[in-house]
Amino acid sequence: MGNSRRHENYWELVLSLAKTDFKLRYHGSALGYVWAILKPLLMFLVLNFVFSSIFNPRNGGVQHYSLQLLTSIMLFNFFSEGTMAGLNSLIAKSTLVTKIYVPRWTIIAAATINSLFIFLMNLIVIAFFFVWYQFWPGIPQILTFLFYIALTYILILSFSFIAAPLFVKFRDLSQIWEVITTVLFYASPIVYPLALLPIQYHQLILANPIAFIIHFTKMALTENHYAPLWENGLFVSAIIILFLISLLVYRKTEAKIAENI
Amino acid sequence: MEKDIAISVDNLSKTFTIPHEKISTLRGVFVSVFSEKSYERFKALDSVTFKVKKGEFFGIIGRNGSGKSTLLKILAGIYTADGGKVAINGRVSPFLELGIGFNPELSGRDNIYLNAIVLGLTKKQVDKKFDDIVAFSELGRFIDQKVKNYSSGMSVRLAFSVAIHANRDILLMDEVLAVGDTNFQSKCFEEFDKYRKQEKTVILVTHDISIVKRYCDRAMLLRNGKIEIIGDPDKTVDQYTRQNIADEKETT
Repeated sequence: MGNSRRHENYWELVLSLAKTDFKLRYHGSALGYVWAILKPLLMFLVLNFVFSSIFNPRNGGVQHYSLQLLTSIMLFNFFSEGTMAGLNSLIAKSTLVTKIYVPRWTIIAAATINSLFIFLMNLIVIAFFFVWYQFWPGIPQILTFLFYIALTYILILSFSFIAAPLFVKFRDLSQIWEVITTVLFYASPIVYPLALLPIQYHQLILANPIAFIIHFTKMALTENHYAPLWENGLFVSAIIILFLISLLVYRKTEAKIAENI
Repeated sequence: MEKDIAISVDNLSKTFTIPHEKISTLRGVFVSVFSEKSYERFKALDSVTFKVKKGEFFGIIGRNGSGKSTLLKILAGIYTADGGKVAINGRVSPFLELGIGFNPELSGRDNIYLNAIVLGLTKKQVDKKFDDIVAFSELGRFIDQKVKNYSSGMSVRLAFSVAIHANRDILLMDEVLAVGDTNFQSKCFEEFDKYRKQEKTVILVTHDISIVKRYCDRAMLLRNGKIEIIGDPDKTVDQYTRQNIADEKETT
């Protein structure tokens, strides 16, 4: 017997939904792209100015502060925009939920993939500044960066699978999450290097997954310093477990999405 | 399930719980932790059993709140049923509202692709069918304009054209044709006439009894979530009309 609920084109569906979002965001123009990178770029320029002239971490021996700051901001921006887009995805595309059947996870995945596209575009800006500062990371450093980007994406996706169906029910989640991301921004070693904190707080700070990713991306990229293998192993396992949990939660909540929306 | 059956619904029930005070925030959950929660149960569908054959044009009528749309949404996979079984033999193309997945900021062309892919086609398949879809929709030179500049008739033509060309075994429709002009409507019904030979099934929810009389092979009348009568379209429509008159007398 044929199954009515089967879609053979999941991947195309996810991609075309993501592409639509992407297109609408940039209005199909180069100027639209400038607009999209303006926010993280301005944030970088302001923070870079403040922390170069007022409090200068370079005095503490951080040589490549600007590049570290830029990379951290872009990564964090990816995380915050990605989770927000994932959280909002079902509500934003409510007609796809209530008027037709597409597997709901495709809507959630599409929103997060759109954020991934935007981040990949932002990588161009990062690359530009690395060239500007004449800093050339080696292959293992770049590979580590890509590895952490992949982990960030899985983190975003896991969050979204749990949060998007919940947001349908609890409409103040977006405000709560906004506050939490602000806290996470300052709780992550973005504007300050982790070394600035007393050593007994390091474990606590690094227990926050986005802080872990940002810290070790910075370290790998600019100082050629890597997390110990066991720490990376533990971190990857935690992310995978989180992802599996998110799938379970999603399966439990999926059936009621259309009624609650 | 027998081979010639497209849809088989067995003892289907669906109840909605409607709270008197809907809590839609986490704050609300905290605030109302100790307050008593009251809600109403609304039985939208109550032990509904019927079968639709392949190639049949099947009409569903009934007053507002009789469960027509809920039934259609369960068939489309949007809602999950509380009890009973639904078996569907073939792929479904639901058409419950004008321009699902349509994005007004995108051109007609982009929307055709988006909508067709949402309906389950691959990009290659859309490439092949693109010209036919445009031709059927009669939009021609407007196809690269943004959909927000379309009239409602134009967008329903576009959406409908995509739905038809999605080439699914079962088409579910909820009252949408009402927006198109009569020429376009009859063109669609001509299209449906071809479906019989291709063993494609159409399920139409409507208030237009003349359409039921003219096109449907069988019809079903729902009332308060139960099947009142199912079978010959003329008899079903007559019953519906009698019911309406009786209801009207009651209220006056």
